[in-house]
Parts: sequence; structure tokens; C-alpha cells
Amino acid sequence: MAPTTRNTVDRLDKPSSYAASKNRRRKYNRDADDGDRGREKTPDFEDKLREATTLYVGNLSFYTTEEQIHELFAKCGEIKRLVMGLDRYQKTPCGFCFVEYYTHQDALDCMKYIGGTKLDERIIRTDLDEGFTEGRQYGRGKSGGQVRDEYRDEYDPGRGGYGRAIGADLGDDRDYR
Amino acid sequence: MADLDVKPDGRGDGGRGRWNNNSRKRRFRDDDDTDRRPTRRRYEEPTAVKLRKMLLSIAESPMRLPEDEAKDIARMLAENFEDEEVKAEFFDLFVRLIIEQPFKIPFTAAVILYSNESKPEVTKEALRRTSERAQELLNEGRWREFKLLLRFFACLQDLFKGDGVFSFLHKLFDSAVDLQSANENDVVGLELVKIILLTLPYALVKSDTALQEQATEILQKTGIVASMRLPIESLVEAYTGHTEEKPVLYHSVIGLLQTQLQNEAAGGWELACLPRFSRPVPREADGEDAMVPAPETHAFPDIMIPSPVNPGPKPLFPEAFFSLYADQDVETVPKTSTIAASLLRDAIVDTINILDFNRTATAKFLIDLDCYWQPDTFVKRATPFDKLRDVAGDKSTWKPEDMAVDAVFSQIFLLPNPEHKLVYYHSVITESCKIAPAAIAPSLGRAIRFLFRNLDVMDLELVYRFLDWFSHHLSNFEFRWKWTEWLDDIDRSNMHPKKAFIIGALDKEIRLSFAKRIRATLPEKYHPLISEGKDKDTPDFKYADDNTPYASEGRQLCSQIRKKAAEEEIQETINTIHTKAAEAKVSDVLVASTDAYMTCICFIGSKSLSHVLSCIERSKERLLAIGPQSEAARRQIVSSVVDYWRDQPGIAVNIVDKLLNYTILSPMCVVQWALSDHLGAGEALSESWIFEMVAGTVGKVTNRVRQIVAARLQRGLPEEQVAMLDETLMKERDAMRALFKFIDDSVKAVSDGISDIFIKKVRSGELSDEDAALIKAWGRRWQTVFIRKAQVEEAVVGEEAVESKVRVLNAEPMIEANDIAEAANGEDEIL
Repeated sequence: MAPTTRNTVDRLDKPSSYAASKNRRRKYNRDADDGDRGREKTPDFEDKLREATTLYVGNLSFYTTEEQIHELFAKCGEIKRLVMGLDRYQKTPCGFCFVEYYTHQDALDCMKYIGGTKLDERIIRTDLDEGFTEGRQYGRGKSGGQVRDEYRDEYDPGRGGYGRAIGADLGDDRDYR
Repeated sequence: MADLDVKPDGRGDGGRGRWNNNSRKRRFRDDDDTDRRPTRRRYEEPTAVKLRKMLLSIAESPMRLPEDEAKDIARMLAENFEDEEVKAEFFDLFVRLIIEQPFKIPFTAAVILYSNESKPEVTKEALRRTSERAQELLNEGRWREFKLLLRFFACLQDLFKGDGVFSFLHKLFDSAVDLQSANENDVVGLELVKIILLTLPYALVKSDTALQEQATEILQKTGIVASMRLPIESLVEAYTGHTEEKPVLYHSVIGLLQTQLQNEAAGGWELACLPRFSRPVPREADGEDAMVPAPETHAFPDIMIPSPVNPGPKPLFPEAFFSLYADQDVETVPKTSTIAASLLRDAIVDTINILDFNRTATAKFLIDLDCYWQPDTFVKRATPFDKLRDVAGDKSTWKPEDMAVDAVFSQIFLLPNPEHKLVYYHSVITESCKIAPAAIAPSLGRAIRFLFRNLDVMDLELVYRFLDWFSHHLSNFEFRWKWTEWLDDIDRSNMHPKKAFIIGALDKEIRLSFAKRIRATLPEKYHPLISEGKDKDTPDFKYADDNTPYASEGRQLCSQIRKKAAEEEIQETINTIHTKAAEAKVSDVLVASTDAYMTCICFIGSKSLSHVLSCIERSKERLLAIGPQSEAARRQIVSSVVDYWRDQPGIAVNIVDKLLNYTILSPMCVVQWALSDHLGAGEALSESWIFEMVAGTVGKVTNRVRQIVAARLQRGLPEEQVAMLDETLMKERDAMRALFKFIDDSVKAVSDGISDIFIKKVRSGELSDEDAALIKAWGRRWQTVFIRKAQVEEAVVGEEAVESKVRVLNAEPMIEANDIAEAANGEDEIL
């Protein structure tokens, strides 16, 4: 136990449990695979996030534009690149994006000051990200959007109504990816 | 100490801590009885964890008496003091709590006060740990944290031998005097005096007359320093204009403190807002045992003030006291003449600025503010403003919400710069509103009204910050605002600061949302302010209209760029424009073709920012080649972008910003366009997006110069690199000065009313007398802002500033070694 350097209240600029669990899964695979080789190839997850300048931004409305995102996120520093998340088939926004800053500090500040506030009247989620790579801008859900929009049973007008798989195919299996 | 051995038995049913434990255990058992899940093994929290929790939550709950909490912690700590791990962890947290949660300092000090009664070793350890940290902070020039530890010592004044903290304050003052006499613009000395003044009250809470005399003596000494007005001080005033126009008179934080303390001294140091604790009396001593020994006292820790004093990592500036509510008819916050105003403000502001890593925690502290001060300092939370008049007799009418909102705004409106990005303070307000809407929202409403009422005399940069906050805040709360209140202001001229604010705010709201949505939140009278053009995702392409000169060439160019035609083909079209322009006697044909080319790029890229960026990327060679050929054509790039996006200037500002990054545009070119081509008679100065564009461009330039300075101040650079950096610095700094000079010349001409267009428009009656006066005022306000920015930069990157930093750098190999040693201790990453 080493609470010595812990702050007296939690910090909001830590990666989420989702990012951490993704890493754990990856690490598990890697260890099962070949520990040494894996470690040399991919720098440690935490090291990557230690200098992260990119954020994953979630829970956007499908109708939120780049300009709106830019207007809000530029309050934390100059934006280097903004990549909209797109439906894999329709190539239309599907409710997430990547925002890349020039500095790590700006990304951290964005976690602290913008994550959990509203854009286009929705509470948005931010998470530190290891960096955008081609292909990650597309939804990984079955019908092309994000996985979470497949099975949602609440009506969300900003994200295409009900989940796409609901009603259409209720007997479908859960997506465990 | 003999007491201690008897105690655990002696207080079997009396102690609070014990009772708590029992009740918790009993509750546990009840839960187990009804719970059908398999019972878990009962888990007893380790003492270290228990102590951590108790210390962290001290004074947080209005249901418990902080004094009892302090005694409980003291008792448990004393009982486990021999456990090295418990001890180490406890004091790690203890020091951190003082530095991170200033509200709790009097209460953490109370823990030591009560510990000292039975176990003076606890005090010794606490003093050892806190003074070590204080020394480090002092060496590093981290003034806020140092101040907080000093405050902790002040709260322990009773436990010190001799004069205690006072002798240290005297020494600190001597250092301040040295700094002040060395440099008339010195702000580090001011900072030290501020720390001294803010420490005094905490040492005097339970003071006797001897200490009060000491305090008076210190006050006599600090008087001269505190009442001085520094040459750079005029830069940080929130309100411009003549004295009689100002809604609040200017006070420096330090000057105010001095007066307040003198007033407090005259009133016998009542210090009514500071929390008090009963003197530690052994519990069993019910009168019968009159021989209780006096608590053991300790020597004040040995803290060395380094010479020369390290000015610290952040450039310091004199600080103005800002308040939205002070000294008004109803006293919702302490009068500026009372020390409570400064004590409360200081603690709240520190809390806000320290805890920027968790805005929810900050907001919680702001809402629970009243827990940390003497009971009855405030009126009950969320008491409506109009009920304050009913508060009986001499009871306090201070609203904790007003205190909190006032403190946040004091940071949003801090000149020259707030400590954190402005959006942090926005988020604190948003969070506070979420936690306690009924309490915060009305205070916020009164704040907005006060600010709006005084827009005309407020510093322009601050007006812009207000605008930015206001629109962002509304975007978090369904864009609800009582717009009907400002209906009359719509009839004013667009040049009027209030009307300009409304126009700017609506534009900002739309940028975060969309025109139709914002229109729906407004009374109908506002609707003409949102042009129909704002509804168009793709603004019209002017070359689609045959009446536009070069219409067919414009269309051809557009289709060529769109289908990525060869550069030669594009050049042919451009040549046609040049020929036609030359026939029409256009003096600079490149201007005409540049207009067509850039307008096409905007039109093709109108779908989104990334579309226009990729289009610019593809055309960048041609765009880059324009500037060196003709400055007029380069400025035409800005004109074309702004003209295409005239209904959504935010997008234009953004594109211009990106063009600067590509060095297609130069900072000077953007500023010249804004303050010369676009200036008109000066009307442009009232447009908030023009301010945004110019301030943004200037910011880019100053950032760059600061980065060069930072690079220059690295240790151990090879000599040729130093020479190179020095040269770059000189060049860039000169360019920066030229930029500031150009801005100053332009806006001064507006403020003096001497520009040709202005004179012509006034003579022809195109400008009313009222508008003419308003335009001159805009010129003055712009001038104030950019003179300040220029001087601030001089203070940070000017020759004198850089040279003195280089001297420090070269003179301090010793300190570097210390830094490394500290880093090895793992203490480097605090905060």
C-alpha cells in the first residue's frame, strides 16, 4: 500500500476503467502469447497514456458537427486534429470522435474540465486515448454504428432512436467483443 | 503520559469514538440477520485506513462537532503512535491535506492541539514533517503552499515557546524589504507581505495582549509596502474609465488586507469568522485535580529563508480585489473593510485553484463552505435574497452562495491571467449549479445582471471572458435565460457595448448549438439579430451569380479544384482572371484571382472543418506562394474567408487560425486585415469575433516567443545552440513588438478619432454623435487591453527579464543538485 503520493480527492484526469480493462485484456492475450516479444513490440499501455494527447469523446449526438466540437474543445487548447466517428457503412457520424491536442497537458485539462459536461445538450464522456489510427473512426457494431447503439432499449432521438437490433431481431445474441 | 495508560479502561462508555464503534458493529449484525446472501468474513478496517478516513472527512459533516472529531483522531493517533506504518501514513496524508484542502487547516491543527495534551511526541512529529515540507516549498518559491503550511503553524501558536510564529513573520518581512528595496516593481516581496498579513489572524484567534502588541508592530512595518502603488498595477484593474464611473473602486488585495487588519486591531481582534476550539482539558479533571500540568510547548521549527529568495515558477503580478456583491445595499458578502472578506476569499480561491483536478470536489467544498467557519458566520444556505432583509437584528446576512460565486468570478476576471484555463472555472460553476441549483442559480443571476449593468466600463478582455462564460454556461442549462430583461437594449446602436454583448453572446451560443435552436429560446424581438444566413449549412457561392465579376472563371476554378485538376489547368483559369482584371484596370490582379481561389476552397470545404482543411492542404503550395508576391493578395485570403462565412464568423476565425499555422497567413497580415482593411471608421472594434481573431493571433505570437525563452532557459545547452536561440528570440521578439505597435497605432487612431474614414463619416452624418463617441470608447478599451498584453510579455520575455533569468540559471548549479535529491524522495510530483 502506497498512499503517499495519492491526492486527498480523486483525480478526474485518469484513464477510465474501460481503457484500463481494455489494456488488461490485451496484456492477458500478450502474456498468453509470448511475453517477451509482445513487450518489445508495444510500449506499455500506461507509458502511452502518460504522454497521450488524444481523447476519445463519446455520447455525442449523431447531429453534432465538427464545428460544435471544435468550439467546445478548443477551450482547453489548440486542436491538432479532430476525427469524427463514422458509421462503417453509411459514413455518417455515429456519435463519437477523437480529439487530438498538441500537448498532453491540454488533453488532461480536457478530461478535468470538459468530460462530463454538455455539448449540444448531451453529457459527453471523454477518455484518454493512446492515439488515433486509421480504421478506428468506424463503428464496430453489427450494423455499422457503435456497439452500444445496437441493443439500447431506451429511445434516444439524438442517436437514431432505439437500438438497431432491438425489435428487428430480439433473438440475437449479445455482442461480446 | 501516565494518563494515557489508564485511559482506555477509564472511559469505557464515555468516549465518542468508542460509542461510534459499537453502533457500527451493531448495525453490521442487524444487516447480517436479514441478509440472506452468504455472510462475508467480517472485515475490520486497519487502523491506518480508519485514521485516513477520519482525517479526510474532518469538519465535512454539519451533523458532527469538528472539535469532537479532532479529539477522536487525536486519541486514536496517540493509541497507535508506536506503529511506524500508521504514523508514516498518517503524516503523509496530514501534510497533503494542509496543502490541498485549506478549509480544513484549523481543524487539522486542532488534532495536534488535542494530541499534544496527552502525547507531545505527536506534535513533534507533526512539526518535523510540516516544517520539512515548508522548507522545500519556500526553497522552490511555491508561495501558496508555503502560505498554507505557515497558516497551520499559526493555528498552533499556543503550543510554541516564546513568540512562536511571530518571530518568523518578522524574519519574512525583512526578506520582503530587501526585495522591495532592490526593485521598485518587485512583486515577490509583495507576495511575502501578503503571506504575512494572511497568517496573522490565524495566530491571533485566542491571543493575549502580548501577542496583539506583536501583531500591531508587524502591521506598522507592513503599512508602507502594502499601501504602495506599483507602476505595473494599473494593468490589472477590472474597470476602466474615470473613478466616478467605476462600479467598484480599485483595491489591491494587499492594500485591502492592511486596512482590514488595522480595523480588526482597532476592534480588539475579534476575528469572528475563524473557527474556535475549547482548550484541551484532560477529561477526568473535574475540578478535583487542580494540578494538571500546562501543555508542553515546543520551539518554533527552524525554517531558513533562502537568500536570494526564489521567485518561484510562475510570473507574479499585483492582484486586484474583485467582487460582484461587496459593499452593496444588502450585505450578502463581508464589507471590503472587514478582514473576513479577505480571509474567506483567500481560502475559497485557494481551494478552487488547488483542486482543479476534481471540479466536483471543488463544487462540493463551495456548497459546504459554511461548515468550515465559525457557526453563524453565514445566513442559512439558499436563503433567498429578498428574505435577507428579514434577518433579525445583528445576525449575519452573508450568503455562502454569494461568497462562492464571487470567488469563482474573481478568478475568471483575474488580470492579466487566471491560474487555470477559464473553462475550469466555467465547469466549477456548472458543477455547483448541478449540486445546489436552488442556492446557486439565483446568485448567478444577480452576478450576470451586475456584470451586464457595468459592461460599458469593464475591461474589454474581461467582457470577452464574460461573454465566453455566459454562452458556455447557458449551453449546459438548456440555454435558459431571462432575455426579456434586456429587450430595451436591443433598440440600441450596434456600437453600444450592451448591444454588442448580446450580439456576441448569441453568436457564441449558436456556435455551440445551431441557429434554429437558439432562436427558439429567444423572445421574438431578438430574432432579427440571428440572420437567416446562419441557418444555411452551405453559404451561397458568389460566383454562381453571373453578376459577380469573373463568375464563369470562378465556377470553372471551383470544378477544377473539386476534381483535382492539374495545376497547369488551374493556372490557366487564374490567368484568364488576371487578363480580365487587367482589362478592368484592377491594380493588383492577384487580388482578384486570390479571391476566386480562396472562395472556391471555402465553398468546396463548406461541409466541415476537416473538409476545408484537406482542401487547403491540397492547395497549400499555391496559397503559400501568394504572400511573397503581394501583401494585398495575402490579405485578400482573409477577406475571402470572412466574406464567405460572414454569417458564421466563428468558422471564419477558425479557418484563419489554421491558415496561420500553415504560414499561408502571417500574424501581421491578419492583424492588418482586421484593424485596417476591415476597420471602417472603427465599427469593427465592437465585433466580438474581431477581438477573438486579433487576440488569438497575438496569443500565437506571444506563445511562440515564450516557448523560445523556455528553450533558452534549459540547463546545459551547447554554446552554438544558445547563440541560435538568442538570435531567434531577438528576431521573434522584435516581430512581436512590431505587431503590438501596429495594434496600438491603429486603435489609438480610433480612440483619438483621427482616421480619415471616421472623420468623413462624422462629417457626412453617416455616424451619429452617439456612435462616434462609442467608437472612440472602443478604441480606448482596445488600447488598454493590448498595452497590458504588451507589458505583460515584456515582463516575461523582455531583455531584462530574460537576462535576469539567465543569470539565475548560470548561478545555481547547487539548487539543481538539490532538485535531483528531492525527486529521488518521490515528492516531486505533488499537485
